[in-house]
Amino acid sequence: MTRSLRESLAHRSQPILLGLGFALLVAISSGTLWLVQQTSDDAQSVIQAQENQRGLTAVLLALRRAESYQRGFLLVGQPEYEQGYRLTLSGLAPVLENLKTLQADGHLRESDVAEIMHLIDDKLAEMEKTFQLYSAGQTEAARGLVAGGAGRDVMENLRTLIGRLSGEQRSLLNARTGDTQQSIRWLAIATVLGTIIIMLLAAASVWLLRRSNLERDEALDTLEATNANLETTIQTRTADLREANEEIQRFAYIVSHDLRSPLVNIMGFTSELEAVRDAIFSKLATTPGDEAAAQENQELGRDFDEAIGFIRSATVKMDRLINAVLRLSREGRREFRPERLNLNEIVGTIVGSVSHQASEADAKITVGDLPSLTSDRLSLEQILSNLIDNALKYLQSGRQGEIEISGSVRGIYAVIQVSDNGRGIHPDDHQRVFDLFRRAGAQDRPGEGIGLAHVRALVRRLGGTLSLNSAPDEGSTFTITLPREWNAERERSAA
Amino acid sequence: MTNPVLIVMVEDDEGHARLIERNIRRAGVNNEIVPFTNGTDALKFLFGPDGSGIDHKNRALLVLLDLNLPDTTGVEILRRIKENVHLKRSPVVVLTTTDDAVEIQRCYDLGCNVYITKPVNYDNFANAIRQLGLFFQVIQVPAAT
Repeated sequence: MTRSLRESLAHRSQPILLGLGFALLVAISSGTLWLVQQTSDDAQSVIQAQENQRGLTAVLLALRRAESYQRGFLLVGQPEYEQGYRLTLSGLAPVLENLKTLQADGHLRESDVAEIMHLIDDKLAEMEKTFQLYSAGQTEAARGLVAGGAGRDVMENLRTLIGRLSGEQRSLLNARTGDTQQSIRWLAIATVLGTIIIMLLAAASVWLLRRSNLERDEALDTLEATNANLETTIQTRTADLREANEEIQRFAYIVSHDLRSPLVNIMGFTSELEAVRDAIFSKLATTPGDEAAAQENQELGRDFDEAIGFIRSATVKMDRLINAVLRLSREGRREFRPERLNLNEIVGTIVGSVSHQASEADAKITVGDLPSLTSDRLSLEQILSNLIDNALKYLQSGRQGEIEISGSVRGIYAVIQVSDNGRGIHPDDHQRVFDLFRRAGAQDRPGEGIGLAHVRALVRRLGGTLSLNSAPDEGSTFTITLPREWNAERERSAA
Repeated sequence: MTNPVLIVMVEDDEGHARLIERNIRRAGVNNEIVPFTNGTDALKFLFGPDGSGIDHKNRALLVLLDLNLPDTTGVEILRRIKENVHLKRSPVVVLTTTDDAVEIQRCYDLGCNVYITKPVNYDNFANAIRQLGLFFQVIQVPAAT
């Protein structure tokens, strides 16, 4: 099984396990509720059965008491016994009433109650008759009635009937109690089983969770390792790039350095040649009066001077270029020292140093509110002074120069704009002006075509960008975007 | 220079060597100049076959040294001169194209007496050498012991 599949299984089974556990809990809870209901029903039934039993027994008890008063009266004839008998009978009425109520509520069978009533009526009739005979003086007849055993048989029947009914109620009660106990047992079993299953589910859930956590940790470790590898790779690449860059810088330095030596020779010996020129030509013009020879000498001299002149101007130009390359390579190798810079202060100093040129060119320089940033001071001084110098250098003649330096903050970047209303740069040259030794427009100002190349190299090294917006005869705006917090790490990754 | 001081010039570029010599002469220095275009020959001359430098005992030397040499570095020659008991008092003038601050510092640390950067522009170069020549005229050079 692949990791992702295993993981997704673990993730998918989590809710299923939780659902199962929850369903089991609900089942156990509802079972318990049902049982409580059942038990309370059963308790009700038990109480009812006891009530029924009591009702039935009360009938028998009352009749027995009445019978014993009757027997007592027949034996001694004292009126107290008759009184007791009458009192007992009046007590019988509510007992019978209760029995009827029980029957009406469905707790006793109608036929049974009817039979009980019938037997009671028989018994009461028998007892009433004895009292009547006794009162009429027929004492023996009354006693004979009792001795006849009819009343006893009735009582016996009644007792048997009530005993049977009581037994029925008892067995009903027992059955109910048994049922309750049975369901309590089942529920106990179900609860225990359910609890065990829930615990198993919880254990499975915990296990799955732990496994998936473990796998996640492993994946995280792998990711971290990959990241570390990536970082190492990036560092290696960056180091390679830096090395390559440094090699180019070194190469530029060595080449320009080595080119200087022969150049000094060329220039030196050209000077030496010039120094001996007059001596040579004075030697050549030794024969006086030879007009043709003198003429030829003069021509030779002109050719000589022309050649020397070309050599001289070419070497001077080459010297300038080599110096420029040397300066650039030196700048490229310079270590940056980031510090907190107040741009307004830096620009103020630059504007102060060019104020003479500005007043000569009839130009006005306005400086807005510039952001402060952490960067290399010398680089920013060079960038800004190059741009301001350029703005002053390439003003449009015939109108007052207006140079504006403004700034703003955009996120983690500081944006600085140097704009002028000078002669502008043709759109075709917008890229060219940033190339080394390339210049645009009328070549009527001194320069090597290094300034903007240098500025762009510096801005890039500082982790920023330089863009140009310009139209001929309207002016130019150079926009520098620099990180507000420059650090060496950034340069490494940019290098 | 009052004593017949021998000027030892170590310069790999023969053109430079010639220009230096001419401009020193123009300053009125007539001392003998022994030119070398590589370090090996210069070292052989300075320290002799046994490498002790005893050959130049009691002789005043002035060394004009270029740092960029094909076989060894001028710095190495400088170090050996200043470590040698016989040669260490001889003035060494480093005349080279490098204006690297670290290099200049290193040379002075090793005991170089004068460090001059060759001007790139020839006029300045000629001027500098002529001034060096004038300087040679007035300095005192002790004899090697």
